Amino acid sequence: MTRGIGLYVHIPFCASRCPYCDFATAPATTALRSRYLDALDREIAREGEILGRPRARTLFFGGGTPSLLEPAEIQMLGDALRRAFVLRPREVTLEANPATLDRARLEAWLALGLTRLSIGAQSFDPRGLRALGRTHQPEDSAAAVTVARDAALDVNLDLIFGWPGQTIAAWQRDLETAAALKPEHVSCYPLELRLDPDGSIPNWPGGGWPVLERWRRAAAAAQPDDAGIARMYRVAERVLGRAGYRHYEIANWAQHGKRSLHNLGYWRDRDWLGVGAGAHSHLAGARSANPADLRSYISRAESGSERVVDAESDPPSEAAMLALRLDSGLDLERYAARFGDTAATRVRSALREVEPAHLVQVKGHHARLTPRGRLLASEVFVRLLP
Amino acid sequence: MADLAHIRNFCVIAHVDHGKTTLSDRLLETTGTVPLREMRDQMLDSMELEREHGITIKARAVRMTWREHELNLIDTPGHVDFTYEVSRSLAACEGAVLLVDASQGIEAQTLANAYLAVEQGLEVIPVINKIDLPNIDLDVVREELRTTLGFRDQEILLVSGKTGAGVNELLDAIVERVPPPVGDVAAPLRALIFDSHYDAYKGVVAHVRVVDGSLGDHDRIRLFATEKESELLELGVFGPDPRPIARLETGETGYVATGLKAVADCRVGDTLTLASRPATAPLPGYRPAKPMVFAGFYPSNAQDYPLLKDAMEKLRLNDASLIYEPETSQALGFGFRAGFLGLLHLEIVQERLEREYDIDLIATSPSVEYRVITQKGAEVAIDNPALLPDPGTIVEIREPWMKVTVIVPTTFVGPVMELAQTKRASLADMSYVDPTRAMLKYDMPLSEVIVDFYDQLKSSSRGYASLDYEFAEYRPADLVRLDILVAGTLVDALSIITHRERAQQTGRVLVNKLRGLIPKQMFDVRIQAAIGGKVVASETVKAKRKDVLAKCYGGDITRKRKLLEKQKEGKKRMKMVGSVEIPQEAFLAVLRIGDDT
Repeated sequence: MTRGIGLYVHIPFCASRCPYCDFATAPATTALRSRYLDALDREIAREGEILGRPRARTLFFGGGTPSLLEPAEIQMLGDALRRAFVLRPREVTLEANPATLDRARLEAWLALGLTRLSIGAQSFDPRGLRALGRTHQPEDSAAAVTVARDAALDVNLDLIFGWPGQTIAAWQRDLETAAALKPEHVSCYPLELRLDPDGSIPNWPGGGWPVLERWRRAAAAAQPDDAGIARMYRVAERVLGRAGYRHYEIANWAQHGKRSLHNLGYWRDRDWLGVGAGAHSHLAGARSANPADLRSYISRAESGSERVVDAESDPPSEAAMLALRLDSGLDLERYAARFGDTAATRVRSALREVEPAHLVQVKGHHARLTPRGRLLASEVFVRLLP
Repeated sequence: MADLAHIRNFCVIAHVDHGKTTLSDRLLETTGTVPLREMRDQMLDSMELEREHGITIKARAVRMTWREHELNLIDTPGHVDFTYEVSRSLAACEGAVLLVDASQGIEAQTLANAYLAVEQGLEVIPVINKIDLPNIDLDVVREELRTTLGFRDQEILLVSGKTGAGVNELLDAIVERVPPPVGDVAAPLRALIFDSHYDAYKGVVAHVRVVDGSLGDHDRIRLFATEKESELLELGVFGPDPRPIARLETGETGYVATGLKAVADCRVGDTLTLASRPATAPLPGYRPAKPMVFAGFYPSNAQDYPLLKDAMEKLRLNDASLIYEPETSQALGFGFRAGFLGLLHLEIVQERLEREYDIDLIATSPSVEYRVITQKGAEVAIDNPALLPDPGTIVEIREPWMKVTVIVPTTFVGPVMELAQTKRASLADMSYVDPTRAMLKYDMPLSEVIVDFYDQLKSSSRGYASLDYEFAEYRPADLVRLDILVAGTLVDALSIITHRERAQQTGRVLVNKLRGLIPKQMFDVRIQAAIGGKVVASETVKAKRKDVLAKCYGGDITRKRKLLEKQKEGKKRMKMVGSVEIPQEAFLAVLRIGDDT
């Protein structure tokens, strides 16, 4: 593993649960917190050993709300990582909730080599934050950007569009406010409301799935329709484009040279290791994952169990989908060289099916989604499945 | 073995739910044919489906003994689709018990079958059943029997199949009133096949009534209509379980394991004779099964076609009335066009295919057989709307009309008449079976009968109306083919033949229905209804605007793929027509047009 791997560390703890969120989460006050962090240390040590202490090219702390960790916890985590891996990353990202990052915590993260702060702004509109069940205030995001700037960190702002009651004008204001803060990177996600419970439900006492389900149903009913969301996406392309951001993945825009190296690893089908509850890994062509439910995760880590392998994974179709998510697209010649003619033929025939609807553009051996295709990517991807 | 004078062959004519099966069981019990401890409820119904539909499809004969007489109870089918089978069962009898539910009164179909029995010269014994029920008015039922069939009060027997009251008297009446069979004992064998079924071990089993001559268990048999010959495997009677015997004599009823492989070789109504000494002429009254309703059967998944083919072949072994031939639809691929005696028959076959053979089916909307007179003077039978020739070449289209009888409480006459009007029916006669119930006779196109008429009739009479119909004649009609185009491609499986006056409205309703059923696709999909190339209605399913999983869940590709797989499963259940995915329900939309025209 000379190229090194991407390393993802999952910190599930949150001050409160955002009702639309599907990640592995748990209350910050959970009694399992220290056991979780111990289990995480143990998993890090074990994986580092199994993989022969590889180099981590990129490091990403996601959640959950990793910015909630205490300085001592951050330091212990850093020590564990340094013992298990060669830490010379080109990029270290921390996901942060606005209003969670204080000076002491930031110092601890900086000591770990932090280069980039990904701020979960979601919206600058108080109605939007309320509609999304967020607890921070619009001005908290700007303050977080200032903190990052002071520490010379690159900034990503996460925005969510298509929340209940959002208008095109409101969305445009959000985008303009975001652009005015001059982050290096912007992610814009349409509000997706899945109606199947995820694995982290048992981590949250009380409430539970029925409450979330009710919220999601109500939100889905009040959301702009697909045509409205499609229009908002076009607005994002226009506003961010004008502000100097280049679109590079379905939901991601960046200034020149500021694309997320860690996330590019996912889309380019590179190797990465994910540690922590609900974390996914892709190593030597195999996909695997940890359980999202803390108790299962901890007991597996304590007993040294393997991650759950995704036996149905189909590397050829997955690689094609991931590559097509990027504006750089899919190089069909290289693809055929990697996966063989059968897989390449399938991809070509899928592309032929969607080409008349202007979802993809194929030039020679190079295929990419059109702006319309980005919005209808599932129509393309579903045809890539074996 | 009994001499002719001591044989009585009879059947029971009754409406569904009027207690025929319970009474039959009681007869078996009272005559000691089945000891009480072996009685199962509903001894005579055998197929699971028949039980669920509450009807008896396959006739069987059961032999009983009462006061030194051999009584053969011949079961009759109880549904309008099987009129011909009923007539053959009646032809095997000299007498019929007309069973009427004391709380329900006589129903249209019962009456039709009773008339059939009278026409065939049977001695009909009127019996009022369920006299144990509270709040019944026997006088009303008596009056019905007087008015409709001219019975005298003293002829009418009262029984309760449930308690057994009056059953002895009924058995006595059968012996006393039903005449013994007449036949030529010395003549060559002529046995009427009134039913046949396929048995996995014995092959085709024919249920016969020996009219002339006799049959031994080593005889070689011959069938008139199909000209098949075979060594018979077994001869026997039902009591009610099969019991082999050595000979069947003149006037007797029993079964013959023919050694034949397909029920189609041994048709109901055909005459069975001896190969060594054949009779010179068959018994009268045979006619081949005449399908009235047609539909296309297609596997939902094209790769299931061999399974469907195999299942259809197996079903045909057991169902001589089921006819089919391979058919190809541009929209649905390879399948079969099948003909049925009626809608119930269609439903039974469809259910058996789905349930017993586990095949996921798409059935196209049912059609009748049209007769098309072309300019060249030829008459062409069309049972698939998609095959209707170019209107320019057609001189005339004829469609089958039925004589429809509805018996309904007088309070519902209005709603029934309104319904009939929407079905192009014309009232031929109206009379009263008793002061509270009217009998309406209509002439009506079969195509209207098969689209929902029975259900609508039931709902406009709170379930009280009963229905009977029989084929009357072919009549010319101003009919056109309504085609459906999806994204400019004609979807043959959605074509229907409809009355010109209503075609445009039907087209609009259908197109609107389809717009709701066809999901959004990658591009706008235009749905059009056209008559002879002229578009009469059009709707558009707007293109899908957004379908993307944008969020990158920490490299969770697995979940994304699973969601896509679910999406793919949904696509699989649809049929690709051109570049458009059409869900199965769309092919049934035609059936439900009636709801909103």
